[in-house]
Amino acid sequence: MAAPERLAFVCPRLAGEGAVGGAETLLKNLALHAAARGVAVDFLTTCAQSHFTWENTLPAGVRRMDGMDVHFFPVDERDIGTFLRIQQAIDRGRPVAEADELLWLRNGVNSAALLAHLDRHAADYRAILLGPYLFGLTWFTALAHPERSILVPCLHDEPFAKLACMKRLFAETAGCLFNAQAERELAGELFAYPDAKARIVGMGLDAFEVDPTAFARRRGLATPYVLYSGRREPLKGTPLICDYMHAFRERTGRDVKLVFTGSGAIDAPPALWPHILDAGFVSEQEKHEAMAGAVAFLHPSVNESFGIVLLEAFLAGTPGLVHAKSRVLVSQCRAAGAGLWFRHYPDFETQLLYLLDHPDARAELGRRGREFVAREYAWPAIERKFAAALDALRPVGAP
Amino acid sequence: MSETSVLSIGAPGLDVERLVADLQATVDRKAREGVYADARVARAEKTNLVHLRGSDDFLTFYLTCLRDAVFVDISDFEIRERRRFFGPLLVALKTTIWKLLKFYTYRLWSQQNQVNGLLITALESMEEQSAARVAGLEKRLAELEKAAGHGRS
Repeated sequence: MAAPERLAFVCPRLAGEGAVGGAETLLKNLALHAAARGVAVDFLTTCAQSHFTWENTLPAGVRRMDGMDVHFFPVDERDIGTFLRIQQAIDRGRPVAEADELLWLRNGVNSAALLAHLDRHAADYRAILLGPYLFGLTWFTALAHPERSILVPCLHDEPFAKLACMKRLFAETAGCLFNAQAERELAGELFAYPDAKARIVGMGLDAFEVDPTAFARRRGLATPYVLYSGRREPLKGTPLICDYMHAFRERTGRDVKLVFTGSGAIDAPPALWPHILDAGFVSEQEKHEAMAGAVAFLHPSVNESFGIVLLEAFLAGTPGLVHAKSRVLVSQCRAAGAGLWFRHYPDFETQLLYLLDHPDARAELGRRGREFVAREYAWPAIERKFAAALDALRPVGAP
Repeated sequence: MSETSVLSIGAPGLDVERLVADLQATVDRKAREGVYADARVARAEKTNLVHLRGSDDFLTFYLTCLRDAVFVDISDFEIRERRRFFGPLLVALKTTIWKLLKFYTYRLWSQQNQVNGLLITALESMEEQSAARVAGLEKRLAELEKAAGHGRS
């Protein structure tokens, strides 16, 4: 008989080399910390690394990694044309029939092998933790075993969240671990989500000390810079910061560079390219150094449920500049007292000039951010919240 | 043009809520003064428009920017090449292509400019009419409220 404490985590990709993503990082870290506490953990994922192609690039099978068993399953064949056609309609806010919603989920990312594994072994797990919410893999897995499925939804205010199939997903599963109060409130608005099934956990972050001059020295940067870390794509708002920084440099005459770490193509005006440093996929140490040396950490995405990189930037002592439409990021900036939020370019220009011209205020914002994250997101506190949430949503011995 | 450097919001007792509100008030004042009536601002905002739909003030401001940006620039421009190898060769090639195409594209861009000009004029007219109608309704509402208030007292 399996240990009653055995947990399964289901995520479309395993975060790591070649796979960057907030939800993936969050689920992996929760799993790793559960494993470190002595819980038996199976991490069920696919062989894909790229969230653009979903090509099976890793070998299938089970590998022991950092104290947990990672099961890699192949992604199923899918009709990308059908998937994109329906996704485009959803994205544009057009009404989509429930049959088409299912067709969209079926032709998204799925793994019949992963589902078959859970058909055989679901009863061995005290709980199955799955996320993010909008993948076919999450939807079909969760609804195949709803009584023991706990969503880590990473919910955003976006057209996908308003689909009828998502109402069903949230209604029928055992509970949700939200990352922030703002995300939990969104679930309340979208699904009238009950308090009894909702817990706020998030992810812990380890404090670090780095040399704030190291990145600029290593990369030959002699002027101030702002930083973006993570996936570069329109949904994350990276074209927006390129356009803003281009206008900022032209209008103010300030020589401020734009530094990127992470993966994906950068869509920038040609005249901005000489002032962009694309560091690509860097080590955690170098990312933290880049954060610590930046005038501000830019987070233009409005679709965030947690904002891991923003919290990391706070830990590095760097203030955030976030989009005012992201209620989660704005609430993090408010709670920490460590970031500003812009509605449009004029706000952005004014706020960046303020940060450049007021180093004392910048340092004060940075100090507050660091204290806030160290206080609220230390791993021991998050581990306690996670254990309490599991006890409430899936007590040991629950059928 | 660092007008914000005159802001004297200091670090001690820094309140981000107040700081953002103060900076936004500065922006709103400067927008009314025409500081951001600039085609570069309109261009920078192209991916943010979806988030600005609900803002009445911004529509007026954006139309002002758009008036500057509406005409396609059909004059010659500096041709650059990011790739290090064959850079000069590619620049020469692109310059030749541009020279050959300029004659053919000129008519297209001219017509586009005419359409853009008509569209911006129509949009401005609609916005002015809408603003005048809202102002009229607000005035009438205020009068009715005043009359109702007098009636009660």
